[in-house]
Amino acid sequence: MQMLVVLSLAGLLIPLWIKRVAGIENEVKFIANNINQELLSGVQRTAALFSPINASTINLARMLKSSLGKNDSRHHSKAESMVASTLFQALWTIPNLRQISYIGLDGFLFAYYTDQGDQPYALYSNSTFSSTQNDTKNYTWYIQPVNRDTGKLYGEAIKSAPSAVVNSSWFQEALKSTNGYASVGTGWANSQDLLLLSTAAIDGGSAASSGYSMKSLIDFLIGQTAFYNGSLYLATKDGNVLTQGIPNTRMILADNKVSFQLLGHDGDRDSAVGSITCQSHDAESIDTTLSIRGRKYVINCSPVEIAGLQLVYVLALPHNGLSSLIHKNIRLAFVLLMLMICGMVITTCTFVYMIVEAARREMYLCGALINQMEATQQSERKSMNKSLAFATASHDVRASLAGITGLIEICRSEVSKREPLQSELLTNLLQMEACTRDLLGILNSILDTSKIEAGKMQLEEEEFDIEQLLEDVVDLYHPVGMKKGVDVILDPYDGSITKCSHVRGDRGKLKQILSNLLSNAVKFTSEGHVTIRAWARKSSLENEILASNQENSMSCLCYLLFKSERAYTESEVVNTIQRDPNHMEFVFEVNDTGKGIPKEKQKSVFENYVQVKETTLGLEGTGLGLGIVQSLVRLMGGEIGIVDKEIGKRGTCFRFNVFFFSTCEPHASTHARTTDIEAISSDSFQHSGSIFRIHSPNTEWSQVILFTQSDKRSNILQSFMQRLGIKVHVVKKHEQLSPILKRIKQKLNLSHHSSSRKSEGSSRSDEHTSRASSTRFKEIPLSTLDGMDNILPSLKKPNVWGGTFAFILIVIDTSRGLFREISRAVAEFRMDLNDKCCCRVVWLDRPDMSNTNFQGVDEDKLPASDLVIKKPFHGSRLYETIRLLPEFGGMPPRTGESSHTVGKFNVRNINTLEASTSYVVGNRKPLMGKKILVADDDLIGRKIAEHVVSQLGANIVSCENGEEAWRLVCRNLINDGTNGAGVSKLSIPFDCILMDCQMPMMDGVEATRRIREVEKRYGVHTPIIALTAHDKGEEMKKMIEVGVDDYVTKPLNRDNFLKAISQLIIKT
Amino acid sequence: MEVDQLQRSFLEYSRLLFHEGFLDGQFSQLQLLQDESNPDFVLEVVSLFFEDSERLLNDLTIALDQQNVDFKKLDAHVHQFKGSSSSIGAQRVKNVCIAFRNLCDEQNAEGCLRCLQQVKQEYLLVKTKLEALLRLEQQIVAAGGAIPMLNEFC
Repeated sequence: MQMLVVLSLAGLLIPLWIKRVAGIENEVKFIANNINQELLSGVQRTAALFSPINASTINLARMLKSSLGKNDSRHHSKAESMVASTLFQALWTIPNLRQISYIGLDGFLFAYYTDQGDQPYALYSNSTFSSTQNDTKNYTWYIQPVNRDTGKLYGEAIKSAPSAVVNSSWFQEALKSTNGYASVGTGWANSQDLLLLSTAAIDGGSAASSGYSMKSLIDFLIGQTAFYNGSLYLATKDGNVLTQGIPNTRMILADNKVSFQLLGHDGDRDSAVGSITCQSHDAESIDTTLSIRGRKYVINCSPVEIAGLQLVYVLALPHNGLSSLIHKNIRLAFVLLMLMICGMVITTCTFVYMIVEAARREMYLCGALINQMEATQQSERKSMNKSLAFATASHDVRASLAGITGLIEICRSEVSKREPLQSELLTNLLQMEACTRDLLGILNSILDTSKIEAGKMQLEEEEFDIEQLLEDVVDLYHPVGMKKGVDVILDPYDGSITKCSHVRGDRGKLKQILSNLLSNAVKFTSEGHVTIRAWARKSSLENEILASNQENSMSCLCYLLFKSERAYTESEVVNTIQRDPNHMEFVFEVNDTGKGIPKEKQKSVFENYVQVKETTLGLEGTGLGLGIVQSLVRLMGGEIGIVDKEIGKRGTCFRFNVFFFSTCEPHASTHARTTDIEAISSDSFQHSGSIFRIHSPNTEWSQVILFTQSDKRSNILQSFMQRLGIKVHVVKKHEQLSPILKRIKQKLNLSHHSSSRKSEGSSRSDEHTSRASSTRFKEIPLSTLDGMDNILPSLKKPNVWGGTFAFILIVIDTSRGLFREISRAVAEFRMDLNDKCCCRVVWLDRPDMSNTNFQGVDEDKLPASDLVIKKPFHGSRLYETIRLLPEFGGMPPRTGESSHTVGKFNVRNINTLEASTSYVVGNRKPLMGKKILVADDDLIGRKIAEHVVSQLGANIVSCENGEEAWRLVCRNLINDGTNGAGVSKLSIPFDCILMDCQMPMMDGVEATRRIREVEKRYGVHTPIIALTAHDKGEEMKKMIEVGVDDYVTKPLNRDNFLKAISQLIIKT
Repeated sequence: MEVDQLQRSFLEYSRLLFHEGFLDGQFSQLQLLQDESNPDFVLEVVSLFFEDSERLLNDLTIALDQQNVDFKKLDAHVHQFKGSSSSIGAQRVKNVCIAFRNLCDEQNAEGCLRCLQQVKQEYLLVKTKLEALLRLEQQIVAAGGAIPMLNEFC
């Protein structure tokens, strides 16, 4: 488009320009012609300027004639002086005059002339012809210099040969004419300069002649006229060329014809060029064109008269000189213009092309973007729909699976009851049950994922004991681990969890997270142990980010840069949680010694459906577990990550943090870790409801001997107990047990007898302890230290029991084998123990191996004070055991005390709901006598509801919409109110209302709201069960807000309804 | 002998219906609800369902015939239809209704029309199946047999 505009512009401009240029050219041609004419006329005019030359000569002649007329010219000398003075005056007054002479026919001659140097000379004849009688021998001319001021002759006169002036043609012609005669000739001077001689007769016998320098005249002529690169030739009529024009050419004039010749370098004649005929100026001047040396010249030849002298001049002007110059310039301009236009066009084309290209690319990109966006939206919508469908289907799928499980269970019990011997069927059923359980697990994980994806996962807040939860989870997986030979250990760590164990949060989800991580850890660990560790802290956001990303701060930076928006919103969520001072951050660590996860896979394990291939061989799973875990952790405002292990250590360590509402005021974790033992031991257990250390601490003689399953567990227990200020001996091998016991006994007895606190034979753990404590007592030389001495300065307080009392707690894991030997060692140790020493033994027994370890040893034979603990030794059992120590409130055992406290720690509450449901179901018509209102617009739904309710024995009132229901309630209330006036407590109109959510006229939400309003006036509360078609939708939220007691999903189902209503009835 | 056969075919037929997804657990619930005090409960409910459905389908057709489809109204109708079909346990009808409602939310008239056809088709299908089932049931009752209970919830 633009291109066309530019081209048409150029197309318009160029002809305009050409036209204009042609006009200019014509004008120039015209002007040039004029100039030529002007030139010619200029030459003529200039030539006319010379006419005074003749006039002045004539005047001179007249003057001489008058001055001579009085005197006789025969008086030679007198005449001579008279003539001389006149001539001298004339010479100096007339311009350009080079020579002036008076010539008599009788041979009298007097002349002045100037030579090159302007030095005037006089030339005169000594006599006349007449006086000498034609004696030519005496007739001589003399040349004498003249004083330029006075005109007097001076110096020596030089003789000069006389010439026949009288006989010369010009003299004769001058005498004949009256107007003077002009001719070209040489002067008196020696130089061969051509002079224009203008001669005028004075009278019959003499004439005055004045000579002008031809050269200066021509110079004047040429100088007067501008020739525009032209050249002027000048010649006399008879062919005497006066000046040549064009360099290196020669003009020859002959018979009115002018011919030009080129000259070679050496001045030789080279070649003829051409000839033209001369015409008079008046005639129509025809310009003849000649080409000389490649240049065209217009030759103009015409006669001219200068001071009466007939001359021919030839003017050679360059052909079209002016116009060709302009022409050349115009052509140059045209070329430049064309170039410019070309350049412009090319530039425009390129520009347009580029713009078009860019526009096309942009269009393409736009199209692609739109497509992409559409695709994205579509896929998002699809995925959303899918997730929603999943979420909605979840309930049904789970219910049916639960049904299957239940049925299998029933079958199993039936089969085992009827045919206990037909074990094949039983095992099949058992396998089926296991299969369904697995299926349920997988299904649950998939459904959880879909729920999370659909954004329907919500936190359910409830109060719970986080410590208890941890213990439960670990207890759950302990047997699983033990089966594989993997010890699952709960690390009490710094006890901060115990302090803040009462929290508010989503118990179920935390349990799910922990279970998932633990089951993974156990699944992928073939030997070693799995440690779970938790602590509470108040932390800032920076801490958290640094902690979770310390190993790859670069990726953190990238994350912040590129996903800053997301990061920002996420951190905002975290912030809001963390700003609340009552929210505590709980950090959990699940550490295993399994195969570990390769570093490059660590990022992807949290993605859904991703499993680390090498490790999953032969292990089932959907790969959803960690994805769900991550989503759940994030839902609770935390973050999960894999902590790098020290080089050389195997396994994986997952760490995550979550935020719970907690009422306790813990120490900052760093404080808790470094503060002295006293502070922890007195504070840390108070909140758990189990108050330790009632008495002032006196662990002087309290010692714990640990002989447990795995070294890791021993270490953890040891460090925990040491933190509490308990002296711990760890026995690594059973061979060591006996010597250690012996040594301790020896020491005890010795120290008791000598009242010395020193114990000489320090075991390895003693050294360990002393090393640990020596950091606090650095100024004391190590060698003087003794483990017993410097555990705590407060140990030296008096004992409650009076005097010193030694308490020894021995914890022995029976699964370490060789029970017989161990028990013998223990028995030996116990045998003659000092009566001031007390010893209690805690036997750890594995639940799955119960009794098998006590081979041959009768349990009853164990001393009464001994404890047998069958569950893993951690958590509450650990605390119970520690509480046995006197400084933590333990009493010395008395004889006759019940020895076996097994299972004491695991009392479970019976689910009251289950009990009540079974009670209701047991009755055939459990709702007998109840009055139930059903509000449902759906005829069929209502019919079913009616039927279900009536089948259960209740009286039914049904209505079609919310308004009716509301009116019914109102009416009944008013009736009741009027009937039972004075009765303070009104009976409720209906025992229960089944309220559909979506109804015409008035929906369930509004109806419920109104009913609740009315009820408020009467101070009653009717249980309302919402009927909903959606599982936990927005609708349900509203219903619950307005005061619905429970809800049942549609279609109404006898069991669901029974469950809901029985719960409600039990409540009321 | 004849009763036995009838019962067996009844069972088979209902199992087929469950298996093919025409009916779901809700229908079995209905069957469970039927007792001596109300021997024609299922029949009543099902015929109620037929009446209701025909009325609703008619309403739907009219609503969709309008120049400017009132999607709110349409949605309400579909919701009702969904409710009644889920009450009866007509699973496939219900599923189509769910899709139908989504289309209503999107205000997709064309899709709604398509869905209406689908719903009609599914309804007719389930109607014939149910009628056949009920006929069998009546035959069993007429032959003096008890209607066998279907315990498998699909």
